[in-house]
Parts: sequence; C-alpha cells; structure tokens
Amino acid sequence: MLLPEFELHEPVSIEDALKLKKKHGKDARLMAGGTDVLVLLKKKVIFTDTIISLLQIKELSQIKESGNEVVIGACATMAQLSKSSVIKEKFGALKSSCDNLGSHLIRNRATIGGNCCNASPAGDTMPSLMIYDAKVMIESTDGKREVSIKNFFKGPGVTDLAIHEILTGFKLPIPPKNSGAHYIQLGKRRSSEINVVNVGSFLEYDPDTKTIINSRIALGSVAATPIRAQKAEELIKGKPAKEDTFYTAGETARKEDCKPIDDFRGSAAYRQAMIGVLTKRTLQASFEQAQ
Amino acid sequence: MKKIINLTINDQAYEIAVVPNKTLADMLRYDLNLTGTKKGCDTGDCGACTVILNGDAVNSCLILAVQTDGAVIETIEGLATDEGLHPIQEAFVEKGAIQCGFCSPGMIMSTKNLLDKNANPTEEEIREGISGNLCRCTGYQKIFEAIDSQKS
Ligand SMILES: Cc1cc2nc3c(=O)[nH]c(=O)nc-3n(C[C@H](O)[C@H](O)[C@H](O)COP(=O)(O)OP(=O)(O)OC[C@H]3O[C@@H](n4cnc5c(N)ncnc54)[C@H](O)[C@@H]3O)c2cc1C
Ligand code: FES
Ligand code: FES
Repeated sequence: MLLPEFELHEPVSIEDALKLKKKHGKDARLMAGGTDVLVLLKKKVIFTDTIISLLQIKELSQIKESGNEVVIGACATMAQLSKSSVIKEKFGALKSSCDNLGSHLIRNRATIGGNCCNASPAGDTMPSLMIYDAKVMIESTDGKREVSIKNFFKGPGVTDLAIHEILTGFKLPIPPKNSGAHYIQLGKRRSSEINVVNVGSFLEYDPDTKTIINSRIALGSVAATPIRAQKAEELIKGKPAKEDTFYTAGETARKEDCKPIDDFRGSAAYRQAMIGVLTKRTLQASFEQAQ
Repeated sequence: MKKIINLTINDQAYEIAVVPNKTLADMLRYDLNLTGTKKGCDTGDCGACTVILNGDAVNSCLILAVQTDGAVIETIEGLATDEGLHPIQEAFVEKGAIQCGFCSPGMIMSTKNLLDKNANPTEEEIREGISGNLCRCTGYQKIFEAIDSQKS
C-alpha cells in the first residue's frame, strides 16, 4: 500500500509545532506514533499533504510527578507508561489499559495523546483517564487551556480540539488514600485492535463507616464516545462498600447509563450484559485494592 | 523532496536519500535490498515486517523511513554470521517452527527482542512476546517450543 505524497515537518519545540499548525490549518495533520495516521492514510480514509510530527519534541514524551499530580506528555508511549514506576504504583488501571493496547510492537509506538485524539469509542486509555479524572492540557499560539477529559470527546474521531490546537499532555491527580481503580477490556483477541466492551472504575471509601465516598465509572465501546456511568456513580455514593452495592451499580450502568449498538464484533445485548458484569467486577477489584 | 538520513543497520552505516512518504519496510526492501523483512498486511496487524529499532521491536510498515535518521536497526539479515545461523534461527529449524517461512523473519526478530530483554521468559511472556506476529501455518505451538528452548 502506498502512502500519498506529503511534506513532513519535524519541529523540536511545542512553540514551533504550534506555529506550523497555525500556518497550515486544517491541511496539516499532526502525527505522534503514526499507528493510526499511517494506516488511515494508506487506506485512503484520510488525506493530507502536510504532516507535522511531534516525536522530536522531547518534553512531550515526559512523565513527571509534581506535587499532588502526575503530568503525562502527549507523546508518552504505551510501553513507556507501562514501565513507569509512578504509573505502576499509583495508576494501576491506566497501566493495565496501556498493557492491553494492541501488540507489544504497536505499544512501542502508540502514544496516549494519539489514542485520545483518534477518539475511537473503544480506545483503551480513555476509560482509565476518565476514572482518574484527568485534565487534558491544550495549547495553541493563542495560549493554553485545560479541559476535563469527561468533556473532551465529542463523537467518533471528534474531540474538543480546535484546528490550531495541540494536545500537550494530561494532568492526573494522585489518587487519595483508601482508593483503588481497575480496568477490564473484552476483545475478540487480546492483541487485536478493537474492544467489544471496556470498563474502568475508581472507588474511594471511608474505612470507618465502610461506605463509598466517591466513585467514577467509565464505559467504552457502548456509545459514540467513551462515557461516564453517572447514574450508577450517584446511586452508590454513601452506600456500603460491598458486593450488593457493586451489583446494583452494574445493573444501573447496564440499564440506564448505556445504549450500545449491534455490530460484527458483538451484539448490543451482549455489550449491555457485559457492562453490568464488568462494572461490578471493576468496582469489586477497586475496593479490594482500596483496603 | 528527498532527505538524506544516516543510520546503522546490522552494524553497518548507511547514508541514504529518502522521500517522506516511504516506510521503513519499503526502504529496507526496495532501496537496500534487505528483503528478509516481509510485508504481509502493511497496516500493523501481522508483524511480518518486525525489525528492532533502537532496541525495541516495531512494525516497520508503520514507521516513516525519514524518521529513522540516527537510528540503530536490526533486521533478520543481521542474525546469521559466517559461522552459521543464529541460535534462535537454529532452534526454529530444529523444532519445526517454520513451514512456509513468511512469518519467520518477523517472528524471529520479536523472539530476539524478547530474549534480549528477558533471558528467561515465562510461558505467558513468550506468548505475549509474539502476540503481534501472525502465523498462518504452524499453529504457534512449535514456535513456542523453539523459543522456550532458547531460554537461559
Ligand atoms: C494493529 C493495531 C492494533 C491496535 N490496537 C489498539 C487497541 O487495542 N486499543 C486501542 O485503543 N487502539 C489500538 N490501535 C490504534 C492506535 O494504535 C492507538 O489509537 C494509538 O494510541 C494511537 O497513537 P499514535 O501515537 O500512533 O497516534 P497517531 O496515529 O500519530 O495519531 C492519531 C490521531 O491523533 C492525532 N494526534 C496525535 N497526537 C496528537 C496531539 N498531541 N495533539 C493533537 N492531535 C494529535 C493525529 O492527528 C491523529 O488524528 C491499534 C492500531 C493498530 C495499527
Ligand atoms: S506488514 Fe507490517 S504488520 Fe503486517
Ligand atoms: S510458517 Fe507460514 S506463516 Fe508462519
């Protein structure tokens, strides 16, 4: 398969990348690992005559702990995140998303920024970023802004980014004590590219009263974007942290929070049933971790 | 417009002019005649094009050749020496892990990268290590056995 002709820019600073993006506007395509962009160009799903590669911008691939948050650069790869000690210790659900994306060959190239900007409803890192309440860091030549990841996805392949903007990274607050999080994906085959259903949960509980203080549940592959199961989250707040509650959360997520579709990977009914099961399981696992 | 890049492939230095829209797999095969690296799907699914780039196994069909300026690359051609095949290649032959052979270069490069990083992988680590490489012929078991026989 041939790649179309294009001009390649490899800026070394965010500033230069932003200027290029401003100059070329919608004619230019940003590229990080290229595992989506190059496939889509080869298959003639997208077209461009200018590619701006972000890989030479060193600061975009850093993972930094600062105060009570961790800043993950947009170009950090899955392999890099899986190996990072702070991600392993404090963001286990995100690590498991990264461990599960594609094959190890893909994970050596695929970036977290690319995964979110590609905005597939089934993307692996998004539910985990949502349950850790990540903020998306965005820059343009006009300045910087931040948006909650929960408001970042607008539709399949569509995000909150404007044409001149670049996603530079994510800010994740360090999870509080007595909290845990877990991610599960179901696919046809572990290394294949698309999930049938994927769910992440985060739970914080009060060890004295054994009740749930706070939870976040994110569902993938059951709507046009990954979504939060808000009804289920609200329902279990203040409830005892035990299996019954997790089951009820699963039932609510299944019946009220999602409206999946049939496709060749799985039927809507199957997806819906699995949302119930996986919501319960991820909450249970989060609770075990929190203790 | 062509750009001149310098890189090291199998311990040999190369200087080559490439257009931006050429993948590493195509540069290896068509410009440098290193046709041991195969192309099956050209979209990252099959792993036939696996090479080791700066110490990590990657799909060379999803990497722009111009972006490998300064890189160190290992391909299947770098494994055998004047003394004969590389021990991993020997093991693949010995255990019947090769049938048509199309997946073998990629499979062997993934194996080499796995063993370079982890000399004593578990069964799960071995299976994970070749999970990006598809084989239409062997059913994987003999490939697994070949890799298992190379543990230290
Ligand atoms: C064989 C195969 C298997 C795969 N398996 C999975 C899987 O299991 N799960 C999964 O979720 N995905 C999977 N993918 C999809 C892909 O690998 C991921 O989405 C990956 O994270 C994309 O990252 P990238 O750096 O390669 O993105 P790129 O291809 O470089 O970019 C993706 C999109 O994001 C834009 N972009 C990239 N970086 C930025 C930025 N910083 N700011 C603004 N826009 C940006 C690009 O313009 C493009 O639209 C698979 C792909 C392949 C080929
Ligand atoms: S040819 Fe590169 S993965 Fe199939
Ligand atoms: S031996 Fe034929 S594809 Fe593996």
